[in-house]
Amino acid sequence: MINLVYNEMLKIVRKKRLFIIAAIVAVLVSLFTYAQLKQIETIRERIGTTDWRTQLQQQIIDTQNRLNSTGISEEWKKFLKIRLQQQQYYLDNDINPMAPGAPTFMRMFIENSIELFLPLLVMVIAADLVSSEASGGTIKLLLTRPVKRWKILMSKYIAMILSTSFIVFSVAILSYAISGIVFGYGGWNLPLLTGFSIQGEELNTAAVHLIPQWKYLLIEFGLAFFVSLVVGTLTFMLSVLIRSTAAVMGIMLAALISGAILSSMVSSWESAKYLFMVNLRLTSYISGMAPPIDGMTLSFSMMVLATWALVALIVSFYVFTKRDVY
Amino acid sequence: MSKRIITMIVSICTATTLLWTVGLIITIQDQFFYEASSIKQPKPTTSNIKQNNGLSIVALGDSLTRGTGDETGKGYVGYVVDDLKKRTNQHMQFTNLAIKGQRSPQLINQLKQKEVQRQLKEADIILMTIGGNDLFRGGEALRDLSHAQIEKEKKKFVEQLHTIFQLIRTVNDDATVFYIALYNPFNDLGNGKETSAIVRSWNYAASEVAADYKSIICVPTYDLFELQVNDYLYTDKFHPNKEGYKRIGERVASLITLTKGEK
Repeated sequence: MINLVYNEMLKIVRKKRLFIIAAIVAVLVSLFTYAQLKQIETIRERIGTTDWRTQLQQQIIDTQNRLNSTGISEEWKKFLKIRLQQQQYYLDNDINPMAPGAPTFMRMFIENSIELFLPLLVMVIAADLVSSEASGGTIKLLLTRPVKRWKILMSKYIAMILSTSFIVFSVAILSYAISGIVFGYGGWNLPLLTGFSIQGEELNTAAVHLIPQWKYLLIEFGLAFFVSLVVGTLTFMLSVLIRSTAAVMGIMLAALISGAILSSMVSSWESAKYLFMVNLRLTSYISGMAPPIDGMTLSFSMMVLATWALVALIVSFYVFTKRDVY
Repeated sequence: MSKRIITMIVSICTATTLLWTVGLIITIQDQFFYEASSIKQPKPTTSNIKQNNGLSIVALGDSLTRGTGDETGKGYVGYVVDDLKKRTNQHMQFTNLAIKGQRSPQLINQLKQKEVQRQLKEADIILMTIGGNDLFRGGEALRDLSHAQIEKEKKKFVEQLHTIFQLIRTVNDDATVFYIALYNPFNDLGNGKETSAIVRSWNYAASEVAADYKSIICVPTYDLFELQVNDYLYTDKFHPNKEGYKRIGERVASLITLTKGEK
């Protein structure tokens, strides 16, 4: 079994996809680092101080003004209200949520990439694991070996898990290393608040507690890994079902992008919460953002995602072991 | 590709898989099985000492201070700051805490916030407008111009203005406060005469209140909008436009004397 996994990893590494992905991450991280730097400079220029309290207070006032203006949608209003209460909570407890530093940047980066960017990268690896063998014809050679079919598929699946964690790891390492050049490498022990829960328009702070940033990051990257794994598993299933890699990528791409669009407009379509793609923003629950649909919680989203992944896994193994290969 | 590299990658992958799994376990333990205990209050940082570097300006109040109607978004406060920047080379810190549609009771609540008080404490100049929404109530006042009703509102406003000035003075007893008085946006409407009279008496009451406090200056704007009021109003016929704000800004800026760093 270990040899089979090793063999699959060899194939993935040979295709050099992992390095291309690392390069994409590096470019994007540098881009965002620069954007973040510019943003900090603009705020400093506008307010004339680097005091974060003043900046946060100004943000709160700006949000209040946006709430008062006409013509913003109800959902957006609710979102702003919750963020407002959260910012006020941070201010009242004298905690700077955005203290500059590479760990803070990592946090921001993973929160923004968990929904689309990271799944896309995982998809690139997972999409052709099986389908490329089918379209290239090498699947026949693979299946003539005296190894059970499920073992072959299992080795591919494990290889997918391993490369997914490699991708998450490269996002972590690169965002830390590159942004640290500009923002400094400190800030692992910065206290952060978590445990906000949202009830309607109110922010419930009963279970709010402080955790150091390293733990916060570990949580967020753990969730990012979980999300990547689910997306990877779904792609893996499609890869088993469809012979063309391009079609697999197309379907997954459509699903992921529709998820990003849907989350901003599904609040009135309640059963949409059972779709996997609106549940991808797991980190929002940690930081206390309003979920796209009322009643969604971390445990709910994780259950939905796990169910989708489990079903996908069962389907892929069933189809792969029963299918005629010719 | 050498075997070593692949072995290395595979071991990195395995190690990180373990790491992320640990992360997931921590998530479950931290998010689902957290026992609510009261949050430990972090020690207040010691940066609350007044940092005396340069000029600090804080703006308070309603949409006028926010700059609603000025397409450049500056409002009169922006023009005051621009003017001061030209006149002095001191470092300038500027925060605008105004909220659109704010009335005096809401401003009182805002002034009680810890962070707002900290910023007021550091301020050298405070610019504020308040009362416009108390009086006009989004145009509602135009329908009910009855003397008794207006007097009642005025009395309430005067009390609240006292509270506001007292709050500011207890936090910061030496900053100069510029209270920008009201103008009449309905000057050229049919009942312009009546509304003008109301605005005048309202302004008079406010300037009486301001006179009770040290260095709180009531800046009139009524005259600026008296002729050709529509040239200086935004399309909503209520807020000033860019030109209107510029005029208010010029007037306020001319009142500010700089003690140091003058060019």
